[in-house]
Amino acid sequence: MTDEGPRSIAPADGTAADTQGIKIVGFLCNWCSYGGADTAGVCRFKQPTDLRVVRIPCTGRMDPLFIAKSLIYGVDGVLVSGCHPRDCHYAVGNFYARRRMEAFKAFLPFMGIDTRRFKYTWVSASEGQQWQKVVTEFSEQIHELGPNPGVRRQTGENSKVSTGLR
Amino acid sequence: MAVKIFIATDQLDSVLEKLATKIDLWIPALLKEDKSGPTGFIPYEPGKSPVFERQTTLPTKKLLLPQVETLLRFEYKKDPEGGSTSSIVVDDARQVRPTLVFGARSCDVRALITMDRVFSQGPYVDPYYVERRKNTFFATLVCEQNDSKCFCSSVGGGPADMEGSHLKIVKLDEGYVVEALTKEAGSLLEGLGEAVDKAKDTKAGKIVKEASKRIVGDLDTKGCAEAFRNRFAQNDFWVQMVSQCLSCGVCTYVCPTCYCFTITDETQNLKGERMRSWDSCMFSQYTLEASGHNPRPTKLERYRNRVGHKFSYIPEKYEGILGCCGCGRCIRSCPVTIDIRQVVGNLKENSNEQ
Amino acid sequence: MLETDRNQLHKLVEEALPELDMVIGWGQSTDSFQTTPVFVRDAKQISQLTLGPFCSQNLTGYLVKPPALDAAPKEGAKPIGICVKGCDSRSLVALIQEKFLTRERVRIFGIPCRGTVDWNKVGKLVDLSNVKSATVEEDVLVVDDSQTTHRIKLEEVLARKCYGCRYPNPLIQDVTIGEPATPRSTSIESSYRDVDRLDAKPLEERLDFWQSELDRCIRCYACRNACPLCVCQDKCIIESREPRWLTQRVGIPEKFLFHFIHAMHLAGRCTGCGECERACPMDIPVTLIKEKLNKIMEERLGYSAGLDVEAVPPLLTFNPGDTEI
Repeated sequence: MTDEGPRSIAPADGTAADTQGIKIVGFLCNWCSYGGADTAGVCRFKQPTDLRVVRIPCTGRMDPLFIAKSLIYGVDGVLVSGCHPRDCHYAVGNFYARRRMEAFKAFLPFMGIDTRRFKYTWVSASEGQQWQKVVTEFSEQIHELGPNPGVRRQTGENSKVSTGLR
Repeated sequence: MAVKIFIATDQLDSVLEKLATKIDLWIPALLKEDKSGPTGFIPYEPGKSPVFERQTTLPTKKLLLPQVETLLRFEYKKDPEGGSTSSIVVDDARQVRPTLVFGARSCDVRALITMDRVFSQGPYVDPYYVERRKNTFFATLVCEQNDSKCFCSSVGGGPADMEGSHLKIVKLDEGYVVEALTKEAGSLLEGLGEAVDKAKDTKAGKIVKEASKRIVGDLDTKGCAEAFRNRFAQNDFWVQMVSQCLSCGVCTYVCPTCYCFTITDETQNLKGERMRSWDSCMFSQYTLEASGHNPRPTKLERYRNRVGHKFSYIPEKYEGILGCCGCGRCIRSCPVTIDIRQVVGNLKENSNEQ
Repeated sequence: MLETDRNQLHKLVEEALPELDMVIGWGQSTDSFQTTPVFVRDAKQISQLTLGPFCSQNLTGYLVKPPALDAAPKEGAKPIGICVKGCDSRSLVALIQEKFLTRERVRIFGIPCRGTVDWNKVGKLVDLSNVKSATVEEDVLVVDDSQTTHRIKLEEVLARKCYGCRYPNPLIQDVTIGEPATPRSTSIESSYRDVDRLDAKPLEERLDFWQSELDRCIRCYACRNACPLCVCQDKCIIESREPRWLTQRVGIPEKFLFHFIHAMHLAGRCTGCGECERACPMDIPVTLIKEKLNKIMEERLGYSAGLDVEAVPPLLTFNPGDTEI
């Protein structure tokens, strides 16, 4: 990732009112929520356009690193969605994921990152309407919070030394 | 006639402020609001007071070899006429400004002798280093605070060694006597401080004389290059010396002479940068080959390499200069208190055994 | 008292050494106060072994690294002796829990601990650059800096982890050296005071705090390599080239991400031995990050790592009945 980071795609001017360039990353499991989002699309349910979807095989694949990296570098919100508990394509992937994400959610604010920017939920392939609801609500919440400043990029002494930068 | 000025203790801040208008000024300072906490070199800001009382945790190395520097930038441009052809635009990111380090120590500056040999006097000249080196000036303190882990005299330096420095700072009770050692450095001092009266000059002279007489450290490095070669294959010796090593990078990152680097390209979409960053011979990836084979698979080979590089390979390749400046930082910062003096000292002890 | 304990340790090690491959313990380093890990293979080395409040290193990590690791896989290899304090014993339990070791592989010399000295703290009170000698008399640290003799209450200069220590006595051991110690803390509340203090601040201040603390990080990975439970070591995800999660940059985001990953990989596994913080050359409170996760695990799942060799770390298992953990 270059210095400009994710913001470079559509730079926000930094004011709280500016929610035009809001970006939400959605990690959706291949078997349920990705299908659910597809169902919502096929049914032509109106959805906010802030969401960028990354398809993962199972929420069990969800490494907290993905969420941390997104939020640290200034993605405005992260939404993880998978099969309902007991309905996992791989039987137990989402059970592991649930514990991991709960722990991570509780940990985020300790490092100074707003936990409301991260949400995980369960949506099945047939729940197009549910998907519309989840995305709309989460998107509204993120718009209310405004752009995520992320972690400060340039400070202190170590980074000031990089005199190679113009 | 060399330019020499006196700066009273309470005038230091105002002098530094004026100096900072002429040149980028770096000073040793606390990196944390804690008077015994870690220290390093930072850009001067009015009100920031320099820490001259002790050696900094991090050396001046990053001023000449930053932990990360952009070597060049590139961008792929798609042909607007279509097709798969694209051109690449390369842009040299270098921009170096004249910089003065006020309050370095002779060990920090001594390390540059090794660095120069590698980066600017060998068959390959590194333009990035050379340009920084040309534009970086060192005002070096005559050192009076050596501690039990310093050993600069053992590696060819000394507390008052001014080789490579541009200005000499002598701390008196009432202030600082700063003397220019080069013409260029002299012009930096113009219009600053007060004249040095005879009494202060004598006092400063005495301090310098005493410091240059002081022998810091008792490591005997004579013949260590050969001793290392004899020890190279003695596995048991190295097991004994470095079993406690954690293979972390502390010793190499706080070392003023460790210059190993790695080059990586960081790209996003069609743009990117080529970056050079510090590497450490303590890390597995340092020698990891593309095949997956690693010629230095454990800390044993890695630590042995570090000792060998500093006390055998460099002196044998570069007319006897050592790859160590005796600052003792690796000893102070090591989480498991490995002492390189002990390892080097033991190289020679009964080295013909086995 | 220390003297008697030391003699007892020497005696016990001497008796056991013939049956062991080596004994990992603490010895004097080249300076007059800090200790360094020593690997005793020969009876001549036994006199190097020491114990007491200066023995800060957690030695259990060496069991899964060379040279102890090299000694392990051989057929019929002798067990390895190791000295552990209370906190170290938890790391050992955790390693056994995760099957990096079997109980039979180790002969444990358990040492009840009254706290270890944090030399950074002593450095705030005494100039440590030219210490001639440092000793402990009962609960007082005596430091002679060749000009004056400083007497400092041990209780004031202990490592941060020690103040919330609930397990000063080894939880797993073959022999005990010395009298059992009294825990300084007996409850969750008193074990996580530093976490609570930071949690009491507003979100922005917490971010500022970590931004300025982690800014000092030089990415030397001493915290990772010192951790007995960072078992990936040379195969760390942080250094992976493909995929490349982290660039070589030294900006704060990179450091944040590294410490996030480091902490998350230890969630439900960290035993709070404080090695990461002790190893840090830049004085960053890295253990604090893991303490928060430990607290979450304890409050929500009632789990503390390294107490029971049979237990499974909570993030390596699940309960279908979980709602929110």
